[in-house]
Amino acid sequence: MARKDLLDIASLHREEIEFLLDQSTSFKKLFTRSVKKIPALEGKSVLMLFYEASTRTHSSFEVAAKRLSAEVTNFNVDHSSITKGESVRETIETLQAMRTDYIVVRHGHSGLPGMIARQTTASVINAGDGAHEHPTQALLDAFTIKEKFPDPRGKKVLIIGDILHSRVARSTSTLLQKLGVEVAYLGPGSLVPKYVPASIRRFTDYEAAMTWAPDVVYLLRVQMERQDVQFFPSVREYHRVYGITNTRLAEIRDRGLYIMHPGPVNRGVELCDAVMDYERSLITNQVENGISIRMAVLDWLTPGGEFPRQEAYAAQQRTSPPVIVP
Amino acid sequence: MLLLQNARIATENSPVLLEGDVLIVEGKIQDIGKSLAIPEGARIIDARGRILMPGMFDAHVHFRAPGFENKETITTGSEAAINGGVTGVVMMPNTRPALDSATAIATVLENATHRSRIPVYTSGCVTKNREGKELAEIEGMRTLGVKMLTDDGDTTADPAVLLRAMQYATEFGMFFASHCEVPELAGPRALNEGVMSYRLGIKGSPACAEEIIIDRDIRLARAAGAHVHIQHVSSKLGMETIRWWKSRGDVKVTAEVAPHHLMFTDEHIGDYDTNYKMNPPLRTQADCDALLEGLKEGVFDLIATDHAPHTPFEKAQDFISAPNGITGLDTALVSLYHHFVEPGKFGWDLVVKRYSAEPRRLMGLPVAAIEVGQPADCLLFDTEAETTFTREFMKSKSQNTPFIDQTLKGRVDMVILGAEILLER
Ligand SMILES: [Zn+2]
Repeated sequence: MARKDLLDIASLHREEIEFLLDQSTSFKKLFTRSVKKIPALEGKSVLMLFYEASTRTHSSFEVAAKRLSAEVTNFNVDHSSITKGESVRETIETLQAMRTDYIVVRHGHSGLPGMIARQTTASVINAGDGAHEHPTQALLDAFTIKEKFPDPRGKKVLIIGDILHSRVARSTSTLLQKLGVEVAYLGPGSLVPKYVPASIRRFTDYEAAMTWAPDVVYLLRVQMERQDVQFFPSVREYHRVYGITNTRLAEIRDRGLYIMHPGPVNRGVELCDAVMDYERSLITNQVENGISIRMAVLDWLTPGGEFPRQEAYAAQQRTSPPVIVP
Repeated sequence: MLLLQNARIATENSPVLLEGDVLIVEGKIQDIGKSLAIPEGARIIDARGRILMPGMFDAHVHFRAPGFENKETITTGSEAAINGGVTGVVMMPNTRPALDSATAIATVLENATHRSRIPVYTSGCVTKNREGKELAEIEGMRTLGVKMLTDDGDTTADPAVLLRAMQYATEFGMFFASHCEVPELAGPRALNEGVMSYRLGIKGSPACAEEIIIDRDIRLARAAGAHVHIQHVSSKLGMETIRWWKSRGDVKVTAEVAPHHLMFTDEHIGDYDTNYKMNPPLRTQADCDALLEGLKEGVFDLIATDHAPHTPFEKAQDFISAPNGITGLDTALVSLYHHFVEPGKFGWDLVVKRYSAEPRRLMGLPVAAIEVGQPADCLLFDTEAETTFTREFMKSKSQNTPFIDQTLKGRVDMVILGAEILLER
């Protein structure tokens, strides 16, 4: 069951997922102890390579690594300049020379962690790549749901918001489906593509989605930075149509539904302020569970070994022989 | 003097292969027949079992010179062509500087005569520096033999500019080749919008971005009385749009399809393999099937590779950062045989017609034919042999192709142009 990298949920087997969730349970038990550190990764180095700013995921990985006694280094990424694939490749060469054991990478380009993984012996963990995947987020979401529903098969999760740009939606829905959870999407037509997998139900309005009787309502963060292209007319309209308003919260409370959100929350957009005090909001549980999940992942991966495609990569670097023409 | 014995001869007119000997004297086909007498001093080539066909002609290649000689040069590009059985090409003008003036065209043609063993023709830009604003020096380019005008790589965005160019250049007997894509819809990433783009988390380019411009440019050509040639069609509805306009018969439209759009789908991109990143992007199996139908029906007049070299350094980036395009000259003929002729999807006549005769006609050139009195311009193809597309095999300076290290059926054994044997394996 050893793996070098964690790049996506799509390629994870059910047994691997169950294993990680179980391990996470054990690690979480540590948190109540006075000494929260264990020596599992003593002498190992974890390098944080974040091309997109993210306080939450970054600090969660950092705490997880430190609780496993690993050394954590932050690789300084210049957020002000546009970081393209070319400069990333130079960075990878540097990192390989440093012989780091784990690389936690976040980048705006889909597929980039996979490219790094093919070129280093370090274990690469995808901490979010473009609109592709965010596997540890999915694992912590599943873990959080399993705490409430130990057997989640047949439970229903309604994911609301920007599906098009959301790596969380992709990873979490894939993982939940692997665990037998039913998943539905709801969001603006401009942000829920018509070609999402057929296994995912799609609702066009909130009321219809409620009659489906979900157990969990999962709100995605509205990415304000994408508002240079208008996907919906206004934040006010978004909140009214797709947000959890005060009226909707009352109904959610009556139905006893759980609320989740990957954070950070745009208050008054995805959620009204009152959700923060709602007893069935799992948002802080998600943050807490992020640490034990990331410990489980770091502990599970096995760095070292061969570069999977190093040979092919090296061959690509060779230039073709010159052609001599008479 | 060259005597090819017992060759099977492919023509554009019939799927049936004729069998016989072909005698080439001083670069001309002097005789064709059964058991020709062996003239003294003739070199005899036993062509038994092999197919003799006219040299291919690729009306859409990027040779990157001037400006990007690290990707390809006229020499390496034309050697790749010979390697794949192609004996004539038309370069696209998106070089640096762009080929938008007589001066720029003259430099390229001058280079081509010294640095290529096959004829290299070039198209010229529609607009200055391909900016879509001011008309390029159209008549000046015509005096140097330019026939095709295109801003390939981009659509001439402003329809008024293109219409004016069409009205102007048609007077000089020139025609327009259109790269069809609404940039606002397509975005910068060459990936079909659909199931795959969702899975990979990359903004896709919808097929309608292509369909709209195909229709727009044909309408403009109709209004101007111009001839428009639609380049590298990738979508089913794009093909159907062309078919519909052709059936009306009131506008001169020709169109091309690239081998990769017939053979691959967006599913092949799999794990972000940049060798499948091209523009227009690979679409779905339904599109491939429709394109093949269109090719067989003649909606597509010709096959062209859109040979687009990029250095390994550029292509070894992540999918989003890597440039669009794949090479095609080394691999086109063998891959067409492997994927279509050998499995019986179409015959050699279609290959000869669409990849040799029609592209030459489009360019107003004499058709290469294996007929008495014609200049020798032909190749020998072994249908039993195989080709492995290793880096050593490929002659293009860049080797960004999905065929890398693949073994396909068929092999180009010999390429003859005039009195010279350009290639012999
Ligand atoms: Zn093009």
